[in-house]
Amino acid sequence: MSAAIVGLGMTEMGKVYGRTATQFAVEAISRAAEDAGLSLADIDGLYVNPGVKNDTDLRLQSALQMRDTRVLATIQGFGSSAGQMVQYAAMAIEAGMADVVACVYADAPLKEGKRSSDAYPGQARAMVGVGSLPFAAGLKAAPERYAVAARRHMETYGTTSEQFGAVAVAARQWAAMNPAAQMRDPLTLEDHQASRMIADPLRLLDCCLVSNGAVAIIVTSADRAATLRQPPVHVWGWGQAHPGYVQHRDSQFGLVTGAAKSGPDALKMAGVSVDEVDLRQLYDCFTFTTLVTLEDYGFCAKGEGGEFVASGALAPGGSHPTNTGGGELSSFYMWGMTPLSEAVIQARGQAGERQVDRHDVVMVSGNGGVLDFHSTLILSPHRKGR
Amino acid sequence: MTTVTLAAVVRDDFSAPFFEAAAEGRLLLRYSPSQDTWSEPAALVCSTTQAADLEWREAAGTGHLVTWTVKPGRRRDDVVTPDTVIGIVELDEGPWLSVQLPECDPAGLAVGRAVRIGFVQPEGSEHLPVGHVV
Repeated sequence: MSAAIVGLGMTEMGKVYGRTATQFAVEAISRAAEDAGLSLADIDGLYVNPGVKNDTDLRLQSALQMRDTRVLATIQGFGSSAGQMVQYAAMAIEAGMADVVACVYADAPLKEGKRSSDAYPGQARAMVGVGSLPFAAGLKAAPERYAVAARRHMETYGTTSEQFGAVAVAARQWAAMNPAAQMRDPLTLEDHQASRMIADPLRLLDCCLVSNGAVAIIVTSADRAATLRQPPVHVWGWGQAHPGYVQHRDSQFGLVTGAAKSGPDALKMAGVSVDEVDLRQLYDCFTFTTLVTLEDYGFCAKGEGGEFVASGALAPGGSHPTNTGGGELSSFYMWGMTPLSEAVIQARGQAGERQVDRHDVVMVSGNGGVLDFHSTLILSPHRKGR
Repeated sequence: MTTVTLAAVVRDDFSAPFFEAAAEGRLLLRYSPSQDTWSEPAALVCSTTQAADLEWREAAGTGHLVTWTVKPGRRRDDVVTPDTVIGIVELDEGPWLSVQLPECDPAGLAVGRAVRIGFVQPEGSEHLPVGHVV
């Protein structure tokens, strides 16, 4: 037996106000079930990934009026959660614990009249004890915490801000063809370089969007998938790797991420090599994250990510189409559901103007914390062992 | 040149020795006598061996720069905040310490630059470490 993604449900995303994460989640799951040709009553498993605001959890079961649920949990692996949920759903189906599992991410951090930067002000923690020292020093929110990672990569390998900019420009080129993308206006490298510095070396256009909304997927067995409404997207392989960056001299923080382990693990399970991957949907909370993930997955050598992305490889018409929906940088920020949803759309062949011809093997990354947590999926429109 | 804008931190039982020493200008780290290894101040077990026999021990207070970021100053709601530089310093004993680097020229920063740990006391706070690029 193997598992497949058979339903995809996306709410309106972005500056959508007046709705709770739970309300978004119910809508996304309802849409995903409808997409699959299933009813909510067919769902007997539920994994819930709340965003930073933690406004929803496994009690979503009640909001969905679900009864006799067979697997049910809140999954919190930060940006690696979407990949994790698919993995746990596939294993639950394989084990006979459930037949149809819904996986959902939902969050509503944006408030009307408030800045996006107020949505994620950093870790809300009491400034007590020595554990607070990095926070007190100013390493609070994601931009400055990723900035020190990016700076280390730049100093070690010669990576440049212009190369980060190439990632942003490529993402925007894809987003221009995605009706669901929040940012579709043309973007140039000059625009990137002129955007204000958030935390050196990261500029505004190195940073992802902030979005309200929800995305859900439905996972079931490959056999059942064959009877449903949509073309199945088969789950060929997966991996997780959480480096555990200790604050010590041997730390690879900023240089090597969990992708270096979870990627090869997922490819091995899928029975394919990195050279056989047609499409990459990578977690891009920052431009740097895309670049270092490409290195760690092996699409280019370690330290050569800057040159690789600057070559135009990621953009429409490039050698390595990546984040074809515009990613979190230009499309919408639904944590790991951003790359996963685009992977499903492309694997189905339903991406319209931005559809990539070769989409037999799609690699999906999830990255959480500050490169601390990583998940990988290998997806395909073909049943494994084609 | 940049300034220092540290948030206030208060002690708990675990951190009391650290802050007592900080008030005297001394940096304490966690040390495992059985392994002869050093760990960051917040470590509950050893960073390299996971040994549990950690105790506070005074460190040299010197190290070198691993990486850094510059947060531009902002004018927001008529409050102007200056640029701040935050660095990760690898202490000579091995542990990393995230500190502000006040009064440094960001253009002169480089991996490996020597850093000496000092202490400042923000209002309402314990004494907190900062890094002086030397």
